[in-house]
Amino acid sequence: MAHVILKDLVKTYGPVYAVRDVSLTVNDGEFVALVGPSGCGKTTTLNLVAGLIPITSGDITIGERVVNDLDPKDRDIAMVFQNYALYPNKTVYNNVAFPLQMRRMSSSMIDQKVRDAARMLDISHLLERRPRELSGGQQQRVALGRALVRDPAVFLMDEPLSNLDAKLRVQMRSEIKRFHQDFDATIIYVTHDQLEAVTMADKMAVMNGGYLQQYDTPAQVFANPVNLFVASFVGSPAMSLIPLEVTTAGGRTILTSAEKWTIELSDQNARKVQGATSRKVVLGARHSAIRLHKSQVAGSVPAKVYTVEPTGDVTFVQVFLSGTVVNISLPPTFDVEPDEQIWLAFDQNRMHLFDGETELALQA
Amino acid sequence: MLPSYIAHQDRGLPTMTIVTGEASQVRQPRTTRLDLLRQTWSSRADYLYVLPAIVVMLVVIAYPIYYTVELSLFKTPPGLQLKDKSFIGLNNYTTILMSNVFWRVTLNTVIWTLASTIIAFVLGFALALALHREFFGRGMLRAIFIIPWVISAVAASYIWKWIYHSDFGIIGVVLVQLGLVDRPPNFIDSVSTVLASLIVVNIWREFPFAMIMMMAGLQTVPEQLLRAAQVDGASAWQRFWHVTFPHLRGVSTVTVLLLAVANFNSFIIPWIMTGGGPSNASHIWITHIYELAFGRQRWGVASAYSVLLFVILMTLGYFYVRALSQGDQREPGA
Amino acid sequence: MNAKSGVSTLRRRRMDGWRWGGRIFLLFMLIYTAVPMVWMLLTSIKSGFAAMAFPPEWWPSEPTLASYRNLLDPENSVGRDFLRFFWNSLVVSTLTTILAVLVAVPAAYAFSRFRFPGRRFLFFSVLLRNMFPAVIFLVPLFILMRFLGLVNTHGSLVLTYLTFGLPLAIWLLKGFYDNIPVQLEQAARIDGATRLQAFVLIVMPLSVPGIIATAIYSFIGAWNEYIYAYTFLSKNEQLTLPVGVQRFFSENTTDFPGLMAASFMMSVPVVVLFLVLQKYFVRALTEGAVKH
Repeated sequence: MAHVILKDLVKTYGPVYAVRDVSLTVNDGEFVALVGPSGCGKTTTLNLVAGLIPITSGDITIGERVVNDLDPKDRDIAMVFQNYALYPNKTVYNNVAFPLQMRRMSSSMIDQKVRDAARMLDISHLLERRPRELSGGQQQRVALGRALVRDPAVFLMDEPLSNLDAKLRVQMRSEIKRFHQDFDATIIYVTHDQLEAVTMADKMAVMNGGYLQQYDTPAQVFANPVNLFVASFVGSPAMSLIPLEVTTAGGRTILTSAEKWTIELSDQNARKVQGATSRKVVLGARHSAIRLHKSQVAGSVPAKVYTVEPTGDVTFVQVFLSGTVVNISLPPTFDVEPDEQIWLAFDQNRMHLFDGETELALQA
Repeated sequence: MLPSYIAHQDRGLPTMTIVTGEASQVRQPRTTRLDLLRQTWSSRADYLYVLPAIVVMLVVIAYPIYYTVELSLFKTPPGLQLKDKSFIGLNNYTTILMSNVFWRVTLNTVIWTLASTIIAFVLGFALALALHREFFGRGMLRAIFIIPWVISAVAASYIWKWIYHSDFGIIGVVLVQLGLVDRPPNFIDSVSTVLASLIVVNIWREFPFAMIMMMAGLQTVPEQLLRAAQVDGASAWQRFWHVTFPHLRGVSTVTVLLLAVANFNSFIIPWIMTGGGPSNASHIWITHIYELAFGRQRWGVASAYSVLLFVILMTLGYFYVRALSQGDQREPGA
Repeated sequence: MNAKSGVSTLRRRRMDGWRWGGRIFLLFMLIYTAVPMVWMLLTSIKSGFAAMAFPPEWWPSEPTLASYRNLLDPENSVGRDFLRFFWNSLVVSTLTTILAVLVAVPAAYAFSRFRFPGRRFLFFSVLLRNMFPAVIFLVPLFILMRFLGLVNTHGSLVLTYLTFGLPLAIWLLKGFYDNIPVQLEQAARIDGATRLQAFVLIVMPLSVPGIIATAIYSFIGAWNEYIYAYTFLSKNEQLTLPVGVQRFFSENTTDFPGLMAASFMMSVPVVVLFLVLQKYFVRALTEGAVKH
C-alpha cells in the first residue's frame, strides 16, 4: 500500500477545463471519496491517477514515484469500473487471473491467488461462468476480485455501486468498507452519491466545475461546508438555502427577505455577517435545525406547507418560504397538512451564513 | 474564483437558483497553428493505424481522380499513347452536352436508378416485416431470399438472359401457353421493354440487401415502446407507423442511399445482357462511359463524362457521408 | 358484451387480412426469387438439345450431368480452363480478404477510439470512396497498372478490390468498435496490458463477428467482381471466373446447359459461405451499422 499525492493537477480538452489545479494527499491506507455532480471532474481525476488519459500539467505521485508519464500497467494500481468492465469472452476465473497472466506469473501461483481471492469474495462456485451469466452483485464481486488479486498499491473505484439495486448497494457498501478495513487498502473512490461518501470514506473531496471545493473528513464537511455548493451538495435532505439582505440598525443585525419578514441575528452570527462583501447573504439551515410552529412565536417567520413525507421514524416536511423550498424534519407524531399556514424558527447556533457574492461561508 | 452553479433542492420540484454576480471565467487557451502541430505530433501513433488504409486509398483513388480530370481536357489517340495527347480545353464537355445520346442515356439512368432503388427498398422492407415474426420455415425462406444478392451479377445476367430468351425463355413460353400472347415477347430485344426487363433483374439482385439491412434494423426497435403503444390502443398499422418506422429512419436512409449509389454505378447487368442496346435503349451512364473508353477508345470524352459523373456523385455523397457517419459524434465507447 | 365481441371480431378479421396479405406477398416473392434459380438448375442438367425443345420440358426427361462433367474435367480444354478460372478467383478473393481485414481492422479501431486531427476528414474520404463507380477509375487505373507493370497480373485486381471493399468494411467495423465499452480496454491496461495487448487480447476477440462479416463482404465482392478483371486481364490463364465464363460463352452462345452449369458452379462457393456465416453478417449489421 502507498500514499497518493496530487499536486496542481490540470486536465484540459481544447479550451475546456475538466480538472483545474487539484491538489490533495491520500495517506497510506486511507479511504478517500471523490464526490460531486456529474461533469464535476471526479472521474477525470480518477482516470488521470490511473493513467488512462494524459495529464495537461501537475504531478501525480504514487508511493515514492512520480507517475506522470507511466503507462497504467506500470503504476501498480487496480481499478473497479462502474459497469465492472469484466471481459465478456473470458470466464470469471480468467477475468480474475488476467492481471496476473499479464505479469507472467507462474500458473500454479495464479491458480492459488485466484482461488484465495474467490474464497474471500465468496465467488468460488462461479469461477467457470461467464460474466453475462452473473447477477449484478456477483459481477461486482468478480470486479473486486480482479482488483485485489494483484495486491496493488492503490485501489481506484469509479462509481462501483451505481449499477446495483438499492438493497444490494447497501450490502456492498458495507462489504467494501469491510474490505478497506481488513486490507488497510488505500482507496480512491468516485461517486456522485454523497451518502456513499459520507458513510464509507475517511475523507471526502467535494468537486465541482473541475475545482476541488473541500477536502476533509465527512463530519467536518458536513458541519462546516466551506461554500454554498458544498453546503447544498452534502447532506440529505439538502440544506435549505435562503437568499436574504443584511441591515444593521441600532446595534442590531437583521436579515430581511424579499417579502419583508425579518430574522434578528445572534451576536456571533452578526459578527460573521460583517465579513460579507455586500448586503447579500444566504442563510443555510439543515432540516433538523429548523423548528416548525403552528402559531407565531418570537423570531419565527411565516411559511406554508408544501408536502408531507412520513418515513416512519421521521416525517420530512417541505415548506414554501419566500419562493424557496425549505426541508424540515419532524417527529412522526407531529400533525401538519399540506397548504397549512405555519411559522419557522431557525436555530441560531446551527445556522450557516454564506456571502451572497462570493458564495463562501462567512466566518466569525 | 468559484463558479456559479445551480443549487438543487434535494427533492422539491421548485429549485432555487443562486447566481452570483461574477460568473466563472474559463481560461481559454488559444488554439494556434503551433498547438495543432503539437496535437498532430502527439497523436502521431494514432495515424499508424489508419496509414495503410490511407495509402491504398491515395494510390487507387486520389491519383486516378487527378488523372481523369487531366485526360478530360485532352484529345488522346486511340492507343492511349499519352505522349501524343493534345490539349483541347473544354471541347470534350461540349461534345457530350451537344449529343442526343447523352440525354437519352441520362434519362435511362434516372429511370433505372429511381425504379430499382425504390422498388428494391419497398420489397426488401416488406419482406423484413413479413419475416420478423417467428414461424415455421422462416430461416429457410430468409436464406432463399438472400441468395440472389450473393451470387455474382454475371451469373444472374446469364440466368435471366436465358429466362428472357426470345424463343425458349420460360416467361415467354408460359405466356404463350396461357394464351395471353401469340408469340413469346422480345423482352430484351425491344426498345420499349428492355429497360424495364433489366430493372426487374436488378431488383432481383438487390432487394435482399434491403431486406437484411431492415431486418437488422427491426431487431433494434425497442420492445417496450411497441408494448407501450399497444397499451395506448394503437393498432398494428399505427404501431408500425408511429413506432417502428420512425425508429428505422436512420437505417432506411442508409439503405436507400447505398442502393441508390450501387444502382447509379451498376454496370454488369446491362453490359452483359444487352451491351446497352438495342439502339442505346438500355445504356446507362456507366455502360456508356465504358463503351466510349474501351469500345471506341475516345478517352477524352469518356474522361469528361467521368468528371461530370464525379460532380453528381459528390453531391449525392454529401448526404451519403452524413448518413453513414451518423452517431460518430459520440465519445468512444459511450 | 355484444359490442365488445363485435369489436374483437372486427380486429381479428383485420389481423387475418394482414396475415393473408403477408402470406400472398411471401409466396409472390418466393416465386420471383426461386424460379430463376430453379430454372438454372433444371436447364443445367439437360442436354443441349433438350434445352431447346419447344414446348420446353419442365422436368428434364433425360437428366444428365454432362455439362458439369465437362466443366470439371481437367482432361479436356473446357474443364482445364474452367478449373483454372476457379482457382484464379479463389486466389484473388482470398488474398483480397486477408489484406482487407488486415488494413480495415486497425483503421476502423483508430477511427472509433482515437481523436486525432483530421480524423473526420479521413473518415469521410474513406466513406466517399464507395460513391464512385469502378468505371470512373478505370482509365487512369489502367494506366497506373501499366506503369506499375501489373497489367495481366492478379496483383492489379487485389489492389483495386481492396479499395472498394475497404470503405464499407471500415464503416461496419467502426460501428462494431463503437459498441465495445472503452472501459474494457482501460481495465486491461490497468491490469498490465499494453495498448496493443489490450486490443489484441480483449477487443479483437469481441469483434470477431464484425471481422467475419467484413471478410465475407470482401470475399464476395472480390469473387463477383467483373469490370476490373475484364479490363486488366487479357491472358486466358489469368482470367477470373466471371470474365472467364463470359469469354467462354460469347464464343459458344447456344450451349445454355453449359452456361447454366457454369453459373451454378460460380455461385456455389459464395452462397455456401454466406449461408453458413450469415448470422455474423446480420449481427454485425445490427450491432455495428444500424444501432446508432
